[in-house]
Amino acid sequence: MALRVPVNLRKNLSVVLYAFQGLSILAVIVGLASLLLLPLDEYSRRTYISENALLPGQVHAYFGGSEQNIVRAFRREVDLLGNSTSDVVAERMAEIFRSAGLKVGKQRYSYKAAGGEYTGENVYAVLHAPRGDATEAIVLCAPWRNIDHLLNEGGVALTLALSRYFKRWSLWSKDIIFLISSDARAGPQAWVDAYHDLHGENIQSLSVKSGAIQGVVVVDYPGAYHRFESLHIIYDGINGQLPNLDLINTAVQISRDQMGLRTDLQEMWNHDDGYRHRLRTMLRGMVNQALGHSTGPHSSFIPYHIDAITLATHGDGGWHDEGSLGRTVESVFRSLNNLLEHFHQSFFFYLLMAPKRFVSIGTYLPSAMLLAVGLTLTAIRLWVDPRSRSGEVEKEEKREKEREGGNQGEVVAVDGGPKRELFLPMSIVIGVHFCGVIPFAVFNSVDHKSMSSVFYISIATSVILPTLISILITLTASPHRLLPAFHLSRCFSLLFLGMFLSTLATLNFSLSFLIGLFSLPLTFARTTPKSVPSALVNSILLQATSPFAALFAVAGYWGLGVEDILKEASFGWWVWGMWTPVVVWCVWWPAWVVGRVSVDSSFVMAAMGKGGDL
Amino acid sequence: MKLPTLGSLALLSLLPSACLAQSQHTSNWAVLVSTSRFWFNYRHLANVLSMYRTVKRLGIPDSQIILMLSDDVACNPRNTFPGTVYNNADRAIDLYGDNIEVDYRGYEVTVENFIRLLTDRVPPDTPRSKRLLTDDRSNIFIYMTGHGGNEFLKFQDAEEISAFDIADAFQQMFEKKRYNEMLFMIDTCQANTMYSKFYSPNILATGSSELDQSSYSHHADNDVGVAVIDRYTYFNLEYLETHVKNASSKHTLADLFSSYDPVKIASTPGIRTDLFRRDLSEVLITDFLGNVQNVEVDGDGMILDEDLLALARAAGYNITEQEWKDAMTGGYHEKTQEERDTVVGEQRTWEGPARVHKDRESDFWRNVMSAGAVGVCFVGYWVFSMVDKV
Repeated sequence: MALRVPVNLRKNLSVVLYAFQGLSILAVIVGLASLLLLPLDEYSRRTYISENALLPGQVHAYFGGSEQNIVRAFRREVDLLGNSTSDVVAERMAEIFRSAGLKVGKQRYSYKAAGGEYTGENVYAVLHAPRGDATEAIVLCAPWRNIDHLLNEGGVALTLALSRYFKRWSLWSKDIIFLISSDARAGPQAWVDAYHDLHGENIQSLSVKSGAIQGVVVVDYPGAYHRFESLHIIYDGINGQLPNLDLINTAVQISRDQMGLRTDLQEMWNHDDGYRHRLRTMLRGMVNQALGHSTGPHSSFIPYHIDAITLATHGDGGWHDEGSLGRTVESVFRSLNNLLEHFHQSFFFYLLMAPKRFVSIGTYLPSAMLLAVGLTLTAIRLWVDPRSRSGEVEKEEKREKEREGGNQGEVVAVDGGPKRELFLPMSIVIGVHFCGVIPFAVFNSVDHKSMSSVFYISIATSVILPTLISILITLTASPHRLLPAFHLSRCFSLLFLGMFLSTLATLNFSLSFLIGLFSLPLTFARTTPKSVPSALVNSILLQATSPFAALFAVAGYWGLGVEDILKEASFGWWVWGMWTPVVVWCVWWPAWVVGRVSVDSSFVMAAMGKGGDL
Repeated sequence: MKLPTLGSLALLSLLPSACLAQSQHTSNWAVLVSTSRFWFNYRHLANVLSMYRTVKRLGIPDSQIILMLSDDVACNPRNTFPGTVYNNADRAIDLYGDNIEVDYRGYEVTVENFIRLLTDRVPPDTPRSKRLLTDDRSNIFIYMTGHGGNEFLKFQDAEEISAFDIADAFQQMFEKKRYNEMLFMIDTCQANTMYSKFYSPNILATGSSELDQSSYSHHADNDVGVAVIDRYTYFNLEYLETHVKNASSKHTLADLFSSYDPVKIASTPGIRTDLFRRDLSEVLITDFLGNVQNVEVDGDGMILDEDLLALARAAGYNITEQEWKDAMTGGYHEKTQEERDTVVGEQRTWEGPARVHKDRESDFWRNVMSAGAVGVCFVGYWVFSMVDKV
């Protein structure tokens, strides 16, 4: 009796197959819906300061008055050096730091990526805590040119002025390092690598060091105009890692409540705290996180488990000036100074949707997990599907059964019927995954000038490649094995993708979610459909959601050329150690190729007159 | 002529000492404990140093104050004013001034050390400054502050003491006759739960907040950058500073407790009196927070009880033989455990001649007493002068 249900299900498998299909559709729908629910009040939370030690905004900030004149003097200094080479700039900055009585270090670096060379010279100064024990440090950083290559006049001038101002206080428990990096992308990376002795050969070691870095604040205040409207807090790190939420909360609380300064996130300048704006803020954050690129000098610090943010000024119609920004930075530094060891209390995995509203990993993780579950359920469905079994074996067994006669039929049904041929599909999946190394290596070694031509060649290749593979297989393999082979290869590929995405979701939720989203057609494309036109439609649909199409989408999102994105990816891999290209080329692209191979196989088989016994 | 004078003097001096013997104490001690570490807990150190200042101001010497400071905020690099601790943003009084003796500091402030201190189970090489050298005539004021919860108080971010631990330590102290009376004051979150488990007699307890209530800080100093004092301590201190000007102050604990305003304190302070035998309106604040100079004559003064009994009877007291014997031999302590347990909470009060009668006795009896005393003195004088002649 106990065997009766499975036996019946085996006889009538379509129920099981439909159930799996239904479940996987349900998982995807619930996953997407739960992401859209996040901005609602019921699912998100108000931010709060979790670390008792921080005490944000509890101190008077005294930066202002005559300090403002000093900032303006330094502005003039920076302005005069605007077009100088980085070694001249570094020498002059070092002079200014020395005159303030600080220990100064300089560092040259040179990176090669995408055929270009990125060189510069960082300069930094260490203020030893007069009563501290030099085991910990906090960093105030200003890139000479910010991420948009604008001269960071205000930021550098403010850093110079604050170095003199902080020197006068005796209450620091941690050393303060003032870093002027020569750009916003490579410079901080070179400096933080060298600080931890993990730098390459073209990067100088640091001559002066201090203790473990506990926090970094970057000031980005470009342009000659003094006034600004609001403070843009940038927090995304390399590979989608984030700084501790307490640091962002501290900055938000100080600038809003103490300084009366509006704060913006993710370039959402007119946030009304409504559903639409929250959702947009969250999605913009997710895109940045998924791409895993650097969004400012702070990004390079985060992989070292150093919590870092950039405070960038925005707009020029406001009434805030160097004084407000200086006081904000001062107050943030007083809070960082209060910190005991690390930021450890609050969240490291979160999605911000307004300056004071967030969701934590427990709430948002299920949506990416459900997309991955959808893939896995489809894979299981393909495994259960009788078409994954080799037809010839079935016939042989039938013959055997007939020979033996008697009532052995039930036993065969329980046993599971004909065997699955695993070798061919396994080798297809593994082979294609290894092939993923090729585009990865090509795009990371090609010169940026030839980037676009290489890109179009590889698009053409990837359009033809799956068809070619399926033709090849159809030609070589015996007809009765073809259909199961395509079926099972897709099954393994989806299984692998599902497992990978659910693992990735815990590390970089957004990347996992976006790849899951783009892989939805892989879940729903019918494998080896009977009619050729629908196979073609499926094939085109898959082509539209290929990694290349995603590249076009990203390029369109930023209004850049595709080659710029590829250049950025190559730069990211060589300079920042960005893993996104690896995920795209070695996990997603192979899964996509296998998916298209199995779809293409139907019209290939039709064209070649094989697989007719379906 | 010499002897009778001496004798009568001796007799006279015996009377008051016997009178004061058990209702009063002969020394005052204070144990002041802050249990929190880290710079942002500045206020707890300020709380305890404020109390330290108060008990010192009211006369308890450093040798009788055990000050336990769990962290050194005065010398923390984050302190804008190095070497100082203030309990008010006006920064009028530096609590860490130049006359301060810290007995247990930093990581010495542990649950173990605290309980060893109370019960005097200390290693033999412990210096006197780290011991609570009290006896059964000592009144002890215990003040604790830190981060607490339901029936526990956190020590040093690493361990906690439970209400049961403290209650058991107090019982040990009682059994070892280490106190006469005790005032336990605690300023933490859910502080009142900490004294809920006490079961030893003669303990008066007060705390800042009820179960599930937080205790809040009073205000912050924006240059030091932290909250400088807690509300409950602040208002205690305000009363003590403005009313109890010196050690001869006649303000009672009832006055202090009735000054508590739950609205101002932002939590509901609690008072536990069921273990305490005296009426709060008769208990001077300086009985605990100040220093008194009562003297008890040591030795076998009690052997003279026959004479005293006779004297008391002569003074008009109706005392049976058994009552007298019980009182003189400390009969209370010889009772069995069961009896003692039932007695706990309604502590036996002194019924002998030593009791100071104030209001309830009529004038007549008072007159009789006075006359009797004079008569006894006269008879004594006459007897001794007869002896002198012989």
